[in-house]
Amino acid sequence: MLKIEQLQKKFGTFSLDCSMEVKPGCVTGLVGQNGAGKSTTFKAVLGLISPDSGTIHILGKDLRQFGARDKQTLGVVLSDSGFSGCLTVKDIIPILGSLYPAFDKAFFRSQLQKFGLPQDKKIKEFSTGMKAKLKVLTAISHKARLLILDEPTAGLDVVARDELLEMLREYMEQDENRSILISSHISGDLESLCDDIYMIHQGKIILHEDTDVLLDRYALLKADPGQFARMDKQYLLRFRKESYGCSCLTDQKQFYMENYPDLVIEKGTIDNVITMMIRGEN
Amino acid sequence: MKGLLIKDFKLIKNQKNSLLIVAAVGAAMTAYAENSSFLITYLAFVGSQFARNTISYDDFDNGNAFLFSLPVTREGYAAEKYIFGLMIGGGGWLFGTAAALIAGAVKNTGSPKDTFIIALILFPILLVFVSISIPFHLKFGAEKGSIVMVVTGGILAAAFVLAAKLTEAANINLSALADKLPAIGMKTAILAAFLTGAVILLISLRISISIMKKKEF
Repeated sequence: MLKIEQLQKKFGTFSLDCSMEVKPGCVTGLVGQNGAGKSTTFKAVLGLISPDSGTIHILGKDLRQFGARDKQTLGVVLSDSGFSGCLTVKDIIPILGSLYPAFDKAFFRSQLQKFGLPQDKKIKEFSTGMKAKLKVLTAISHKARLLILDEPTAGLDVVARDELLEMLREYMEQDENRSILISSHISGDLESLCDDIYMIHQGKIILHEDTDVLLDRYALLKADPGQFARMDKQYLLRFRKESYGCSCLTDQKQFYMENYPDLVIEKGTIDNVITMMIRGEN
Repeated sequence: MKGLLIKDFKLIKNQKNSLLIVAAVGAAMTAYAENSSFLITYLAFVGSQFARNTISYDDFDNGNAFLFSLPVTREGYAAEKYIFGLMIGGGGWLFGTAAALIAGAVKNTGSPKDTFIIALILFPILLVFVSISIPFHLKFGAEKGSIVMVVTGGILAAAFVLAAKLTEAANINLSALADKLPAIGMKTAILAAFLTGAVILLISLRISISIMKKKEF
């Protein structure tokens, strides 16, 4: 669906060097701190910036050959960009109808009503939540094969986030070959939605794992100095000194559960993994 | 392309206050100005400015990033700005010409032939104006692009005033002058002006496409 190979881009001191893949039927998450390279990756995929090197293939086609008609198969949400705030929802309906032959006006209108989005109000007068809902709705209303969503739930409350995630689940259920590439600061969103997750730090992918594996096999081990000294360290990905001793990230939770029953073992979460992968030592 | 045109028309439609001011100024000019042909200049150039303003709207709040993630090419975007500029500017020119002719007939001032000649001379100038304003605006954005446009507008206005003064000082009657010229000469001159304007427009389009292709959002 989407394949990024050795994508490189330099901005001053920042350097992106990224390879990743979104498979058909999968929801792939991209997580990382602010400035880690998530938005740069999204912009490169959308052709908004020119990579210094590397290749990007979308739906089997090289990005350089990916034209306007091909873009009709994409649905896009960008965290910091959208339709002009001077337009109303009523204004953008014919625009979308003209840009996307598969635009489902009836679905779009029904969802507007469902989410309470007024058609005659200028978008700049919308709340953050309303803008976010409109962006996602715009992306999913033309039967896109691939959604590229950069922080679609940013600034939303729990209920609004849940509604948006539900929209995305329904979108995926309609066609098993659809895919989503999504970034989010809220790891809970990704844990419940994504099939696999890439972690990016300082422009580089530092981890790629299936979400199920990450949640089942990864764990945070809390060891006092004595336990840490005795511990078999071959399955530790990262460790970090704490006031009580050491916290350690492993992808072999079962091994430590069986062999070190006195260890405090916390279930792996995306937040744990991100923190340890970034702040921990090798 | 069609989607972009719809977007720009919607953006202009939402500038109701500005449109009302233009209409009011245009009406006042038609009612009180002795020479209604100035109305053609006003409507044509202000119309093309509205089109140019849509570039600022697109750019505002990083809007271009989203715009270019839609099924839109950079070439198509640049071309649409010219088409839209000519549609609005040309519409203003056409409406201004019609209004000037009607006002002239009602007030019994100026000859229709003079109005026609002025309108025909203005159109290639409009082409050049659009050709200058769009690439500058695409390249430098709203603020710097506007400075360039103010300077360009000032030069054009000065040239217009100077030409009018010279014509007046030399006691030249444009209609009489046109009558003296062989029909083929006047037609050829106007055709040449149109062709020159069109060539400048095409060169400008190529420059704008090149500017857009280099842009990152």
